Amino acid sequence: MRLDLEAKSFGPRQVLGTLTLSVTRGERLAILGPSGIGKSTLLRILAGLDRQYQGQLQGAERLAMVFQEAVLLPWRDAVANITLPTGCDATTARDWLSEVGLEGHETKFPRQLSVGQQRRLALARAFAAGPDILLMDEPFASLDAATAARMLALTDALLNRTGAGAVLVTHDPAEARTLGVLALHLGGCPARFQKD
Amino acid sequence: MTQTQNSRPSRPGLVPGVLSVLAMLVLWTLASQLTDRPQTLPAPWEVAARILRLASGGELWLNGGMTLFRVAASFALAMAAGMALGLWMGRSRAADHWLNPGLIILLNVPALVVIVLCYIWIGLNETAAILAVALNKIPVVTVMIREGTRALRPDLDDMARVFRMSPLTRLRHIVLPQLAPHIAGAARAGISLIWKIVLVVEFLGRSNGVGFKIHLLFSSFDVEGVLAWALAFVAVMLAIDLFLLRPAERRANRWRQDAA
Repeated sequence: MRLDLEAKSFGPRQVLGTLTLSVTRGERLAILGPSGIGKSTLLRILAGLDRQYQGQLQGAERLAMVFQEAVLLPWRDAVANITLPTGCDATTARDWLSEVGLEGHETKFPRQLSVGQQRRLALARAFAAGPDILLMDEPFASLDAATAARMLALTDALLNRTGAGAVLVTHDPAEARTLGVLALHLGGCPARFQKD
Repeated sequence: MTQTQNSRPSRPGLVPGVLSVLAMLVLWTLASQLTDRPQTLPAPWEVAARILRLASGGELWLNGGMTLFRVAASFALAMAAGMALGLWMGRSRAADHWLNPGLIILLNVPALVVIVLCYIWIGLNETAAILAVALNKIPVVTVMIREGTRALRPDLDDMARVFRMSPLTRLRHIVLPQLAPHIAGAARAGISLIWKIVLVVEFLGRSNGVGFKIHLLFSSFDVEGVLAWALAFVAVMLAIDLFLLRPAERRANRWRQDAA
């Protein structure tokens, strides 16, 4: 998929300037930058959640997203939390649950899971959608260091296995290094990609 | 919603409820014995005997059934229309701006005016009766569902859009579960309002039903009969609330209490 952005504004304030970004299956990309620079906004444009911008978004890849929070359906159990959004069958959902280390938790509701388990469920849901490109919006930011490291390793392994591309938004360069990605720094006002 | 939460830590059981009903019965008995004209306020047992007679004669079931049918029909109509309108107005700012004045007007038109106009415009028939009751209730449901819709979680909305969930799946698995407490609240608040309006509708323009019977008894100042019909039907409505609506509300809220 390829984004040619000319400008993105909230009201009179221009947040993002001219920038180009392209990613395909197997490619990994990290968007780095300080808080409030417009990283999440850029990711929302890529995800098709924000259409109020000047520019062009091309590509017909299947997308899945991991949000800053787990964003699960509290009224459905773990399996349904995968089958309902992705449309996959229950067997596939169970496979993905065991893939992220959640076997035995299939019938639990999100509130019965720990925060780390909820995140793994969200990751399983994203991969169950069979995405060509996985969009991740600071998925490890609110986790403790050990949990974040485990999640990062798990994400890396699953990306390797499925061959999916990834766009990771983060403020932590170490995360980007661990995933072995091409890092793009967002900076300035309005924000553009900057050379290292 | 609050009731299920309150009843959790300590369940007082049935004792206070039963005692307060008994106290009311004692008060009623005393008052009925102190009045010099028994027609004005008959004793509880006389009313109970009258209910038994009505029940054994079949009259209670026929007229009570008609009233219950009207309650059910207008309830279903009001909930369906109110939910559709409320969802629409909660989701679309433009729809809210355009429809809100009409909603406020409808909220403030007296029930009696709606009933009389429905009978005049549509005729003295079942359609007019049910529509008149539903029209009185629709704005109330609409407002409650609209408030619930405005409070829908935007993050779940984003998730549904990214994963391209179909509109029907989204409605069923994302929107309705979030609205369930509001729907249950609207249903419970609505059913009592509806049955009171149904009686007025029957009083004014139907030839069967509890309201029609009360109309007849009113012309002969038969207090015993009025109380018998009213209490019999109050019991039915309480049973519906206790055995249908409350369990439904509890089911809708069950996932909230599943904390580990």
